[in-house]
Amino acid sequence: MAQDAGASPAAEETAAKAGEEARSTANEEAPFTLMGYLAQHGLHNINNEAWNLYGQFTYISSWKPSFQAPYTNANGSINSLVPDYERAFTYTFTFFFGLRLWPGGEAYFVPEIIAERPFSNLRGIGGAIQDFELQKTGGETPQLYHSRLFLRQTIELGGEPLVVPSGQMHLGSVVDSRRIVITVGNYSDLDIFDQNHVVGDPRQTFFDMAFMTHASWDFPADARGYSYGATVELYWDDWALRFGRLAPPQNPNGLPVNLHIWQFYGDALELEHDHVLFGQPGAIRILGYRNYEDIGQFSDAIAAYQANPAENAASCGSRYNYGSGNFTAPDMCWVRKPNQKLGIGINIEQFVSKDIGFFLRAMYSDGKSEVDAFDPADRDFSVGAVVKGAPWGRPLDVTGIGFGMSWISSVHAQYLAMGGVDGFVGDGRLSGPGGEGIFEAFYSVNFFRALWLAGDYQFLWHPGFNTARGPVNIFGAKVHAEF
Amino acid sequence: MLSFSRNFALAFAVLLLILSARAEAQQQALGFAIERLYTSAPGGGWFVMDSLDLHGGLGGAVSMTSGYERDALRITEGSQALSVVSTRAFLDIGGAVTYDRWRVYVNLDLPLYTGGHSGTIGGYTFTAPLVNLALNPDTLSDARVGVDVRLIGGPESGFRLAAGAQLIIPSGNRNDYDTDATYRAMFRILFAGDSGFFTYAGQLGVHVRPLNNYPTPQSPHGSELLFGVAGGAKLPMGAMDFVVGPEFYGATAFEAFFGTTSTAFEGLLTLRLEGTADDGPQLRFKLGVGGGIQPDFGAPQWRIVFAIEVFNHNQKH
Repeated sequence: MAQDAGASPAAEETAAKAGEEARSTANEEAPFTLMGYLAQHGLHNINNEAWNLYGQFTYISSWKPSFQAPYTNANGSINSLVPDYERAFTYTFTFFFGLRLWPGGEAYFVPEIIAERPFSNLRGIGGAIQDFELQKTGGETPQLYHSRLFLRQTIELGGEPLVVPSGQMHLGSVVDSRRIVITVGNYSDLDIFDQNHVVGDPRQTFFDMAFMTHASWDFPADARGYSYGATVELYWDDWALRFGRLAPPQNPNGLPVNLHIWQFYGDALELEHDHVLFGQPGAIRILGYRNYEDIGQFSDAIAAYQANPAENAASCGSRYNYGSGNFTAPDMCWVRKPNQKLGIGINIEQFVSKDIGFFLRAMYSDGKSEVDAFDPADRDFSVGAVVKGAPWGRPLDVTGIGFGMSWISSVHAQYLAMGGVDGFVGDGRLSGPGGEGIFEAFYSVNFFRALWLAGDYQFLWHPGFNTARGPVNIFGAKVHAEF
Repeated sequence: MLSFSRNFALAFAVLLLILSARAEAQQQALGFAIERLYTSAPGGGWFVMDSLDLHGGLGGAVSMTSGYERDALRITEGSQALSVVSTRAFLDIGGAVTYDRWRVYVNLDLPLYTGGHSGTIGGYTFTAPLVNLALNPDTLSDARVGVDVRLIGGPESGFRLAAGAQLIIPSGNRNDYDTDATYRAMFRILFAGDSGFFTYAGQLGVHVRPLNNYPTPQSPHGSELLFGVAGGAKLPMGAMDFVVGPEFYGATAFEAFFGTTSTAFEGLLTLRLEGTADDGPQLRFKLGVGGGIQPDFGAPQWRIVFAIEVFNHNQKH
């Protein structure tokens, strides 16, 4: 097996320059990595890797004092955020292993351990869940699983040489600016689509899920956020076009997936343009999605209940349901069938200096059907800024502020007002439907180039899209280590 | 009339007694870690045994092993038979770091498919597992973390002796026959050697296994003695070697030493083609076909195994 990726002389020169730059700043601004350490001691070619290994540990703890709520879980519904004091946590331990198989061919395997306790059994918050690590099937007992196992093939088409730096799920290499990249296997849509280099890895920045991706993108995934499928990307200098299809869950928000990917699927199509504005990099991405899944539509559930009140949330029997005990509410269990779900969104990132960047995301989904895999928002908007600490002499510190809003459609609000539950929201009543909002500020302090301690504050209003409840103050702390 | 009613009541009471007695006699059997193919560390050479040819500077190995087996758990009672675990397929991914005569490694097992038949036999009710990628898209069953060190001999000597220890970390679901749901450990003495075209390896060890389901048929019976030997011809083919030979391996419970139903004994005909250069990454392809010589206690009727390894003995600098 060749260790060398067979790079051209120009590519080798580009890689050598990149390596030299990396080495010159290694002790000043670069986080510690095992691969960097091995490279510095001549034991690893980090510019043209045959393999790499990265790892991370993240512990997030969140506290929620009591908040104002005139009602909670009304009429037997079950999806309210509990208004009492609560503490939640997650911890994850992940290994990222990459191996070059042949020129352009790579394999990645990512085992992970997670343990968690959410607020209120992960109920009551729509698009702004306070900890992006929370999974729908987690528990306090640590669970070992594989989050990713996939193959990636790059087909070079010419253009300028580009350096791909070594990283998690990226082997250090030089690729053509014009290329096709094919990914097949077990991974997450978020590994490829809707990237944002200002927000970067959420384990380093924001805690809230509202800043991880579009709140209203119901990307296909199992209960942990991963699935099986394939994605094809075409890179042409400053442009990129991506299309991917992943398998949806067998039942909404469940762990088992439906591998009949020609029958039920979640498709994503993204167009990206990278630019340089006033000497600083930026990008604009347009993302459209179309899911075809076994899901219920709000109008069908309402109509079914109004035609026959016996088809209510508490009478689902063996039909898949969320366990609501509300006899006077409609429920999706009566109306699930193959349905289409559509959405389109924009993602903008712009650096204004080497250390300061701004981001904006917005998406509009059709709002006709229930959440299948992510969260129940139908429209979303988020904006914010992230600043690295170089201006005040702490280059590996990170701070940021963000503002996010998410909304539900009018028929979705009608369903919730009638007492229906939808994945994670549904208070049994909806006195005043409104957008759910989040403001977040964090500061992450680096120690020893490999350890970060972060403090976080989130202000959440209208939890579960219900203007009668909240607001909620959420305090968070994070310990994060990488190698 | 009264007499008929009394007789009917008496008969009904007797029937109830019989039925309840039968219900008490049928116990629900619980699952456990069924897999008996304890693969060698990445870079070890054989499927189960280890060639112990560790040498060089900081190096390592990555392995991917996949196997398919039939009737790993087949309960017989007289003329009755029930194949609780009739089909199993797995993928094992492992990585090792080596330095000189030391190796540290980890193996993670992905169950791809497990299926079988439910039923009652021998007074026990068995529930068949059902594992597939759709139902279990991300399951990793028991993880193995180990360390080996060669104590005697060099990488090509006629006799090499090593010691090894493994910690098995529980993961998965007992109902899927993935795991005992307890921590386990293995301590082994490993030996190997090369003499001309003949190559051999073997092991003797202890599998510390807290789970004891005795007298449930074919279930774990506490800690076990591990044993195995392999031998074959190593034929040079240019820059590669072709090795062919059988591996015999098994386990027997200490509490019922070499008992008929407490001993698993398998044979595997192994073929492997491997690079021999001392520096730079080398490939190894392995194929094994075999099955239970004594198909009890987790040893399947037959199995086929395939593996690819990439290993690198970097020269010391």
